[in-house]
Amino acid sequence: MMTTTSQKSSINEDTIVAIITPPGEGGIAAIRLAGRQSLAFLSKHFRAIRKDESDFKPFLMRYGFFVDDNLQKIDEILAVFMPKERSYTGLEQIEIFSHGGSLVVKKIQEILLKSGARAAEPGEFTKLAFLSGRIDLSKAEAVAEIIEANTQKSYDVAREHLIGNYSEHIEKLRTELIEILAEVEASIDFPEEEIDPEETSQLVDRLNNLAQSIKELADSYTGGRIISEGFKVAIAGRPNAGKSSLFNLLLKQERALVTPTPGTTRDYLSEWIELGGQAVNITDTAGLRSGGGVIEKAGQSSAKKIMGQADLIIWMADLSQKKWAENLSEDLNENLNRNSIILGNKIDKVSVDKKTEELLSDYNVLPLSCLTGQGIDSFKRVLVNAIAESMPDLTSGLVVTSARHQQKLKSALAEIKQAKSKLAENQSPELTALDLRLAASELAEITGRIYNEDILGQIFSKFCIGK
Amino acid sequence: MTTKDFDIVIIGGGHAGVEAALAASRMGKTSAIVTMDAKKLALMSCNPAIGGIGKSHVVKEIDALGGIMGMAADAAGIQFRRLNLSRGPAVWSTRVQCDRRHYNDYIVEYVSRANKIEIIEDLAGEILTENGRVKGIRTESGEIILCEVIIVATGTFLGGLIHIGEKKIKAGRIGEKAAYKLSDSFRGLGFEISRLKTGTPPRLNGDSIDWDKCQIQPGDEPMPLFSHQTKRVAFEQTPCYLTYTTAKTKEIILENIKRSPIFSGQLNSTGPRYCPSIEDKFYRFVDKPRHQLFLEPEGNGTSEVYPNGFSTSLPEEVQVAAIKTVTGLEQVEITRPGYAVEYDYCPARQIKANLETHLIKGLFFAGQINGTSGYEEAAGQGLMAGINAVLQIEKEPPFILDRSEGYIGVMIDDLTTRSTTEPYRLFTSRAEYRLSMREDNARDRMADYAEKYNLLPKTVLNSFRELQNKTKQSISSFKKVRLTAEDLLNYSNELNNMNSMTLEHFLKQPRISIARAMPLLVSYNGEFRDRLEVLERAAIFIRYQGYIEKQQREIDKFKKLEHEAIPEDFIFQAITGLKREATEKFQRFRPDSLGQASRIEGITPGDVAVLSVHLKRHKATA
Ligand SMILES: Cc1cc2nc3c(=O)[nH]c(=O)nc-3n(C[C@H](O)[C@H](O)[C@H](O)COP(=O)(O)OP(=O)(O)OC[C@H]3O[C@@H](n4cnc5c(N)ncnc54)[C@H](O)[C@@H]3O)c2cc1C
Ligand SMILES: Nc1nc2c(ncn2[C@@H]2O[C@H](COP(=O)(O)OP(=O)(O)OP(=O)(O)O)[C@@H](O)[C@H]2O)c(=O)[nH]1
Ligand SMILES: [Mg+2]
Repeated sequence: MMTTTSQKSSINEDTIVAIITPPGEGGIAAIRLAGRQSLAFLSKHFRAIRKDESDFKPFLMRYGFFVDDNLQKIDEILAVFMPKERSYTGLEQIEIFSHGGSLVVKKIQEILLKSGARAAEPGEFTKLAFLSGRIDLSKAEAVAEIIEANTQKSYDVAREHLIGNYSEHIEKLRTELIEILAEVEASIDFPEEEIDPEETSQLVDRLNNLAQSIKELADSYTGGRIISEGFKVAIAGRPNAGKSSLFNLLLKQERALVTPTPGTTRDYLSEWIELGGQAVNITDTAGLRSGGGVIEKAGQSSAKKIMGQADLIIWMADLSQKKWAENLSEDLNENLNRNSIILGNKIDKVSVDKKTEELLSDYNVLPLSCLTGQGIDSFKRVLVNAIAESMPDLTSGLVVTSARHQQKLKSALAEIKQAKSKLAENQSPELTALDLRLAASELAEITGRIYNEDILGQIFSKFCIGK
Repeated sequence: MTTKDFDIVIIGGGHAGVEAALAASRMGKTSAIVTMDAKKLALMSCNPAIGGIGKSHVVKEIDALGGIMGMAADAAGIQFRRLNLSRGPAVWSTRVQCDRRHYNDYIVEYVSRANKIEIIEDLAGEILTENGRVKGIRTESGEIILCEVIIVATGTFLGGLIHIGEKKIKAGRIGEKAAYKLSDSFRGLGFEISRLKTGTPPRLNGDSIDWDKCQIQPGDEPMPLFSHQTKRVAFEQTPCYLTYTTAKTKEIILENIKRSPIFSGQLNSTGPRYCPSIEDKFYRFVDKPRHQLFLEPEGNGTSEVYPNGFSTSLPEEVQVAAIKTVTGLEQVEITRPGYAVEYDYCPARQIKANLETHLIKGLFFAGQINGTSGYEEAAGQGLMAGINAVLQIEKEPPFILDRSEGYIGVMIDDLTTRSTTEPYRLFTSRAEYRLSMREDNARDRMADYAEKYNLLPKTVLNSFRELQNKTKQSISSFKKVRLTAEDLLNYSNELNNMNSMTLEHFLKQPRISIARAMPLLVSYNGEFRDRLEVLERAAIFIRYQGYIEKQQREIDKFKKLEHEAIPEDFIFQAITGLKREATEKFQRFRPDSLGQASRIEGITPGDVAVLSVHLKRHKATA
């Protein structure tokens, strides 16, 4: 079911905006506005190149400048207006095509947000399309995934979902669950019958197998999430190590501020890049050290959070510091128990003696210099490999990409565990049945609903019942 | 100006019709039961037993809503049992074997004393309507009876056709008539009519049975009763017996199976899978060497016996040959042959949750005509139809029990959202909120309604409120009482390694049987010594408390959708973006609420979401 808030937005006031082309570099980027005030918001910031082309007619491209509140030109754009009767979302809709480059696109989005548009939630356009009846829900989730698919791999997985392998698999799990439930129900509804319900131990075995399959599916989410949300890399280390320098280098853009003062980066910065066919989200974080002011502390705690959510941490040590190895050993204990790559920056400033070499290999440190570019290429290779290794195996296509699905699978699993222990302890069957029913309805919320008739159907087909 | 003869005309004085008339009478409306034979009110067509798993819950609900079924069963009971006692209390089920004659007499007598009910012995032949609303009926003898509301409760009699082997007889029950004209009238009004079938076993002369070869099944003590109004019962408990078919039975039946109308193609309608004929059992479960039969006495003063499990429509001579191969029945005499009966019913998607037809205002359907089977199912619907008929006359909103309130609600909801493909019977597994819908709390669930609609005398309700209070007291006292290690040992010597604990904690243990713990409860609750019911209710409450809280979350989710009503004038065709199949389904079933819509077969959560959005729009613009 859709939530009430999103239902409201379709009928209601909000005009939403989002960049609909994938993040990262590209020739052209598209921005979509949907809602009652789409045209009004655009008109305020649009200046046609030819005076006679300043009015928007349905499905007619207009060419002009996007300007900010001070009428400063932001970019040359093309824009098209779609009336609600004929738009994807069923609401008044505008699409703007600007030059690629995340800065310009984000600027345009920011200006529209300031005018009063609301940032679209992930998948909200598709939700609207569904709510207005343009598409049906069974496909909406998969469509949303395809739309959001920013790499070939995520597209493949989304397509699997759309075509149905995935729901077939879940349906199979659910059917097995209902068959087991039917055994339990038969013992309740037909106690006087000479049916010999499967031995309890056999049912427990079946539940174990089922739990295993569900768990595998739920566990595939980590990989699934990487596919649909992109691989997350955090650059972390002590202040002044050169984290922001590396960040800019990977972005090929002077995105983050770089200064000789430790503690330059306060809040984190995130950008998308493409590495080895993967959309990678790179985050530059504030340097970690003990002490520091309130602001720095806040920055550090957000840095730790980012590290916690990252799929990979790039830890940067500063080789020009005398005690770099001591510091690193401390840091490794404190901050790094995860998938990580350790870099030793500013190799240009040190002369590598035998001892340094030993230390580098002991700590598995990759030396490089953001200044001279030494070691950068081999670091990139290491990075690409590390990402590839973390990618899930897609050969079966059965990968959970939605947090909602994973959560349902986990709840189902929890119920099945309870049912299993009740069965094993020979508790009243109506209690076991309750757990199994709840488990089945969790699964049903992924694919469809459960009918009591299904359970009875199982019973009648299996047992000779009736006086 | 024509004045109405009656507020309500009820066609058919079966289990449904009788409950409908009594409910209307209590609510102060006049009714006429038009029925074929005034002496056969609520006759048990098949097995003289009331209750059983799933069904007993309905009897308790009927009783809590002022119906007669529970009282009649208690009064006529010859064997009382509580099934499923080794399972949890949510699925404990009372079953009462009755004296068929006495049950019927009790009801005839009770109805004759009720106010404002007139019995008219005739066959209803035609429904009279005016501007899409009922006006009255015309009987087959030509009489016209005017009324505001009609309740149709014709059972197996609409287009009834009995089959015994190759023989066919037009009748709804053996030896009675069938109603064909009325079926035509429904067709004329535009109703969709289908056919179902059911069957019954031959009856046996008990004096010719070798009881020693059978296994005895005595009744339970203390005697479980249906009605809280029952003061005493008429008969001593009589045992039933269990026996088995033999290899020879199987051989004879399979040899002659082609002569059964079901297998010869003479009878094509679907029968109940949960109540298969003996030939069906041997045919479908060919690996099973034998089947069990229950030999149940038909009454106190009769030696007739009902062989439960031997329903058949084989030719009479085959029935005789086959049954004589059953252990203990070698010398048996058949007093009446078994038969199958085929009849018309109106698929229940044609009715609303208040049991009124979508097609004609003021026309209600109850009982077997809706595709159900069983006395209890029929009675439950009859009661609801009676109440709703009155409410409609008084222009009050309908009385609808939802799936979380009672088995009656589950049943009517199933009927109105699913296509019946076989005669519908209740099972506890049909109720997803089973733990909170038990026999012991049927009155807790129904009391407010009984009070609201005036279905029970004040004194009865008051004494129930008192019972509720005592239950509460009992629950809190269970929290305080500490059991000693000796108490635990007394309960079972398996508990020898357990420490002293509160009674509450003790009752929550899954391995403790409440039934077995009763003496212990009594010993600590002297004041309720003769109110065992109070102690049992309290113990059950404690046992399930945690689980019911878990279930409550599901119920809350469910209720939210139930309360989203779909207006009667809502046009499903106007919904854009819905799959065509879904639109068709919605049009056919015309759901009353979003919840009901979500349960229609083949409807996906996506369809419901679309419907929900359009419903909101509809309400915003209305
Ligand atoms: C042979 C047979 C076997 C059965 N087997 C089983 C079984 O195994 N298990 C089970 O649960 N149930 C069984 N039943 C079903 C059970 O009897 C019914 O479900 C139940 O009685 C239905 O109640 P009712 O009120 O709807 O109708 P009924 O009890 O059938 O009553 C209908 C009444 O309506 C009257 N009537 C009908 N048409 C007209 C008319 N046009 N005008 C006037 N009066 C009319 C009839 O005379 C009758 O009194 C069986 C029934 C039969 C006949
Ligand atoms: N010599 C040398 N200097 C470097 C190198 N990389 C970065 N620097 C310098 O080191 C200083 C700090 O660089 P930043 O990139 O701001 O370091 P940071 O880790 O982001 O620092 P904070 O944000 O303060 O935690 C700057 O003056 C850089 O120019 C390198 O490889 N060699
Ligand atoms: Mg920095």
